[in-house]
Formats: sequence, C-alpha cells, structure tokens
Amino acid sequence: MILILSLICIIPFLLILSGSFSSNESIVRDGYHLFPTDFSLEGYKMVFKFPTQVLKAYGVTVFTTVVGTALGLFLITMAGFVLQRKDFKYRNAFSFFIYFTTLFGGGLVPWYIMLANYFNLTDTYTVLIFPGLMTPFLIILMKNFIRSAVPDELIESAKIDGANDFRIYFSVVLKLAMPGIATVGLFLALGYWNDWFTSSLFINNPDMYQLQFYLYNTMNTITFIDQMAIGTGITLSQDVPTESTKMAMAIVVTGPILFLYPFVQRYFVKGLTIGAVKG
Amino acid sequence: MRMRNKTIRHLSMVLALMLFAGVLAACNNGSGGSAQGSEQGGSSENKGEKVTLQFYMLGDAPKDLPVIESEINKLAEADLNVNVKFNYTSWTDWDQKYKLLLSSGQPIDLIFTADWTFYQSYAKKGAFLPLDELLPKAAPTLKAYVPDDMWNAVKVNEKIYTVPSTWTEYVTEGIAYREDLREKYNLSKPESLETLEAYLEGIKANEPNMIPIADSNANHTHGIRQLTSKLVNTAGQLPYGLDIMYDTPSNITSYWGSAQHLEDLKTYKRWMDKGFFPKNVLNVKDTSNSLLQNGKSAVVLSGENPNKFNADVIKVQSTHPDWKLGYFPYPNAKGFAQPVHPIHNGFAIPRSSKNPEKALAFYEKLVTDKRYNWLTEYGVEGKNFEVQDGYYKMVGDAQTNGFPREGMNGWAWRNPEFMLYDKSFDDVLAIFKELDKMKKPDIFTGFAEDWTPYQAEKAALEQVEKQYLYPLNVGLVEDVEAGLNTFMEKAKQAGLEKIQTEYTKQWQDYLKSAGIQ
Repeated sequence: MILILSLICIIPFLLILSGSFSSNESIVRDGYHLFPTDFSLEGYKMVFKFPTQVLKAYGVTVFTTVVGTALGLFLITMAGFVLQRKDFKYRNAFSFFIYFTTLFGGGLVPWYIMLANYFNLTDTYTVLIFPGLMTPFLIILMKNFIRSAVPDELIESAKIDGANDFRIYFSVVLKLAMPGIATVGLFLALGYWNDWFTSSLFINNPDMYQLQFYLYNTMNTITFIDQMAIGTGITLSQDVPTESTKMAMAIVVTGPILFLYPFVQRYFVKGLTIGAVKG
Repeated sequence: MRMRNKTIRHLSMVLALMLFAGVLAACNNGSGGSAQGSEQGGSSENKGEKVTLQFYMLGDAPKDLPVIESEINKLAEADLNVNVKFNYTSWTDWDQKYKLLLSSGQPIDLIFTADWTFYQSYAKKGAFLPLDELLPKAAPTLKAYVPDDMWNAVKVNEKIYTVPSTWTEYVTEGIAYREDLREKYNLSKPESLETLEAYLEGIKANEPNMIPIADSNANHTHGIRQLTSKLVNTAGQLPYGLDIMYDTPSNITSYWGSAQHLEDLKTYKRWMDKGFFPKNVLNVKDTSNSLLQNGKSAVVLSGENPNKFNADVIKVQSTHPDWKLGYFPYPNAKGFAQPVHPIHNGFAIPRSSKNPEKALAFYEKLVTDKRYNWLTEYGVEGKNFEVQDGYYKMVGDAQTNGFPREGMNGWAWRNPEFMLYDKSFDDVLAIFKELDKMKKPDIFTGFAEDWTPYQAEKAALEQVEKQYLYPLNVGLVEDVEAGLNTFMEKAKQAGLEKIQTEYTKQWQDYLKSAGIQ
C-alpha cells in the first residue's frame, strides 16, 4: 500500500526528469513518457547556454533563503520563548494579537500599499525577505513546542543558578528546541525558496528576480505571446524555451532544495507532531 | 565573573544580529531614497527643480535598458530638467500588477494604455488624469501632431485620458502556411475551409512527421470563424459564444449551440481523427509560431497578424533559407479589414502623478523628437542598430544584441515620420496597402464591456469552457453532439443566458450612443 502511494508521489517527478532528458520533438509528437524514448541533453544545454540570468536568479534565491531563514528562525524562536513564559504578563494579549491575524487579513491591496508606498520597499532585497520573516502559524507552533520541550522547572532552576533571560534562551531553550527549530527552519526555507509572488509584485529589476519567478515569468511570457498577443499586434523578440528546456529548468530548480529534506527529516516528524498535538 | 563574560558574549551576538538586520534596512533605505527624491521633487510649476518621472511599461525589460535610460536622461535633463526611470511589469500577472499600480496611489507619471489593458474602464473609474487642459499648455506640439479625430476617438465621458499612437496598422489575422511544401506536393492554397482541409491532408500524407496544425489551446477556432463569417471583431474573438455580424451589428445571435457550431465541431473532430492535431494538444505550451519556425507544423490559424507573420518570415529566413512561408489574410475572405482603433496603443498619466505637466512634456519629446524616439525604439545607433539605405538593420543577432527593434515595447510612441523598418517589413507594408483598399471603420473596439453585473457567472463560465468546450474544439470527444449538449447544459447552469442578455443590452446601448446602425 505504502509502496503504491509513494510510487504515485514519485511518478510526476519521474515524468519531469524523463522529459528533461527527452528530445523536444518526441515530447511534442508523442507526449511525455516515464522513460525518455529519444534521449537528449538539449534541454540542459539550453538552460546553461546563457547562464548569467539563471545564475543571478539562483544567487538571489539562495541569498534570500539563507538570510530569511536565519533571521526568521531567530525572531520566531524569540517570540515563541517569550510567549510561552508564564511570568510574562501580556502573553495572552500578544498571543491573541498574533492569532487574530490568522483569522482576519487586510487583503492584497493594503498589503501592497503598506510595503510599496509606506516602507518604499519596491526593488529592494528587503522586500523579498521581510514579509516572510514571521508567520503566525510558525510562531504558535514554536511556542507550543518550546512549552512542551522545556519544562518550567528547568527555566526556574537556571534562574536560581543566576542565568538571565537571554542566557536561558541561548543555553537552554535553543538547545532543547532543536527539532522544533529544524521543522520551522524547513518551513521557512521552503517558503523562501518557492517564493515567486513577492518578486512578481515588487521587483521591476530583472537582475533581482527570484529563481522561481524568473522561470514562472519565462513560462508566462510564452502563454502571453500565444493568447494575449492575438489581437494586440505586438511582437515580442524573445526566444522561448521548448518543452525539454522547461523540464530541465524544473529539475535544476528543485534539485538543491530536495537535498535539504534528508538532513532535516529526522527532526521533522518529531517537531511537527509535538507542536501539533499539544496545540 | 565567568558567567557575566558569557552573558556579554551572548548579548553581543544578539547585537550583531540586530546590526545585521539594520544593514538590511539600510540597504533598503539606500535604494528607496531615489523614489523619495522624486516625491520631494516638488510641484510642477517650479521648472527649475529636477524631478524623476516614473514610467511604466508592460512586459520584460530589454538587456540594454540601463544604457538607454542613461542616454535618455542626459537628453531629458538638458531639455526639461527631468530624469526618467523606466519600469517594467513583466508578463506574469501583469493585469493584477497593473491594477495594484493604479489603485495603490503609488506615484506613477506615465503608464501604457490599450483597449486590452482596459483603458476605458480605468478611465471611467477615474484612474487617469484628464488631459484636455493640460495638453495645449504642456505639450502643444504633441497636441497639434495627433489629428483631431484621433483625440476625439479616445475620449471617455467627453474627456481625453490617453495620448494615442498615430501609426496606422492592421492586427487582422490570417493563415500562415508553408508555401514551399505546398509547391512541392502541388497542394491547393488554403484560402477557404475546404482548400484548407485539403492542404492539411496533403501535408499529413506527405510529411508524416509533421503535425499539420500548430495552434494549441484550441485557438484555431478563432481563425476558422474569421474564415467563415463576417464577424464584427477583427480578431474574431467575441466573448460568450455570441455572433455579431459586421453588416447587422444590432442583431446578436448565439453561436454556441447553433447548427453552425455543431458543424464546426464535427469538422474539428474529423481533423483530430485525421491527425492534424497532436494528441496532447491541450497541454502543448509551445507557441504556434515556434512550432512553425521549427518545421514541426505547417499551418498557424490564429494570432498571425501581418507583424507576427513577418517575424516568422525573418526567423525562417535565417534558420532555413530554403523554406518559404505563405500568408492568407482573413480580411480577404471576409471582404473587409479594420485598422486598429486609436485607443489600441497609448499613454496615460495616472492620478497619482506628482508631475503631470513634466510627464506630458517628456512624452511629447518621446514622440516628436527624433533623438528620443530612435533611442527608445531602436537603441543606440552603431551599437544596437544601423541605418542602411533607409532601412533598419540590427547589429549582431537577437542573442547578442541587448536592444532589438522596439525592444522597449514602445508600440505607443511610434512616429510614422521617424519609423525605420527592417527590409523584410516591406512585405507587411504591402499587405497593409492591400488591406487599406477594403478598409472599414472598427466599430467594436470603442465598446467597453462592464462585467460587474455578471462577474461570478463569467468566472464560472470560463471554467465550463475549459472543461467542456476545449476538448470539443480539438476533437477529443467521441460523440460531438452529446458533448455539445453537455457543454450547453453546463454553460446554462453557469449563467450563460444572464451573461448574454446583459452583454447584448450593453452592446445595443453602445450602438445607440455611438450612432451605429
């Protein structure tokens, strides 16, 4: 049963993989196959023919992922630690405040106006990192995790030994909350790696596109030329990638993040369940 | 003591992290500064102060845009004491971004408008500044340069909101096909539904590795309808399955569900059975043009306006000089052609603009000053292009040249007096000349549909179309008649009748107000 289920999960990925190694003609003519009928590396050659833009986008994504995850982890664990301390007077008020935002959002337009007009974040790297730093869900997850992983008595005894709150945070909480940190870190990293929406809204400079958006935009340009340009009389002088190139791109993009899973996975299940059950 | 040292060490770590956050924020301040500078640039009356205009275009920026921008800024600073920042939206979600740009109150000084970017509905909602009083003051040359009837044609609620492009072009479509194969196998010219089918059959029989029709996503239907009926819309894309004939515009009928519709669908089924479409046609994301250019298909039925056809010809000439492409414009079948409406390409000044007069003055330069115009349409002379015997010639090829012809997507500020054409464009101009002979005014583009009364139904109908009509259009449904019935049933459930009634009402109102019989 599990075998079948995992096969179902793997097959789409296999299709992409085989597509990336097929010649474009065979895809157009016969469609996709699980194993390439007409083996070809043309797709990958195309991707790396003009690598500057792909590499730039790669750089932006790696940068935002690393910085965003590090900063986000720091802020979220801090928030989680503070919110679960019973001696913090306003913790209920703050918790409610955070929880409330998961129920009611301002919507897209106010969010856009806030970031673009008030913070002036258009075309900055900050805008790619800042909005994703703290997620209510992750804060709550972290709060519950710290509560279950770090007994109050431990904090108390650390206090008696003369540790102040920062020391407790660094030496006790952070060390005991490793599974939680791994889980939240993976969430954050995935979020940053897969993000294309912020680029789409706030970035006008092609050198600052995130990888996902760079690819998404390439695909969209194709759709656009095909559908919109019909009655518009405009001609776009761009080379459009073919099927196999697109598949190769997809592989190049998903590759690195796939390697993150094995490293975090052993913490992952533990962190998620503890956080969830004691919710 | 030891304890305290550690505390200090940890505290400094926190500090370091905070500093890092501070650096991030500083980065942001640095680049945000220029935008702020433009805001503080001051009122438009004060000509002495330098302002930065925010210029918004659709699409992706060309590689050499920074070079062009600095060249333009040198000129603009000397002439008008302004700087311009060219912004591009990218084709991803451009419509959503366009909406956000116009509704957020972000300072924007010039933005591209067209009928297909919903110029009229934005103008009606008050997104743009009326230009009637501004034009003679800020841009008298431009005001005089654009003919009066064009200014009148772009008016919304009696006010001018956009500067139209004066270059007359045709975006009417046609059939692009492989002429060399036609000659080789002695096939008929695809100039009617019958000859088209015969041509496709010939290709399939003689070139078994080709898939004759390049159109994916069921687009070919638009082409076929233009070939067989005299629809009011140039591109043959009337929404919601309606039929409006050019000669009797007030008489609206439903094409969906009609006997003609069934017959067309049966044709597509036959075509699929004969192998004119690829099996996974609904998932093919390659453009029809690239399929034609690569020799995988022989015919493009939809979207081939003279411009695009010319682009195909150029591409094919460079990659396969032994091929030949043929073109049959649909107006030849219909008996009339409609040139583009003046609102088709233009520039407006959004209400959020801080410097409307300077923006208009700059736009005037863009259109009427040859230096500005050439820089933004063709790039730097000698570096990006050369003029040879009065023709445009690209330096290098599309990969190495950072600014191809009209690389900035500057369709709106084309000036016929300065325009340079590629030598091959002579063919397009020849087509235009032919179409000029059967010119009839465009009565469709002036109409602005307001779908707020049936927004939900419209969205539902789009889903139904994708699910039930697209497979019919490419002949993937075994029983065509039953398939059409299912589609009609689902469409009615989605609210087709309500949409059609409301659309018809709006159309009739428009005809009355525009005085069209």
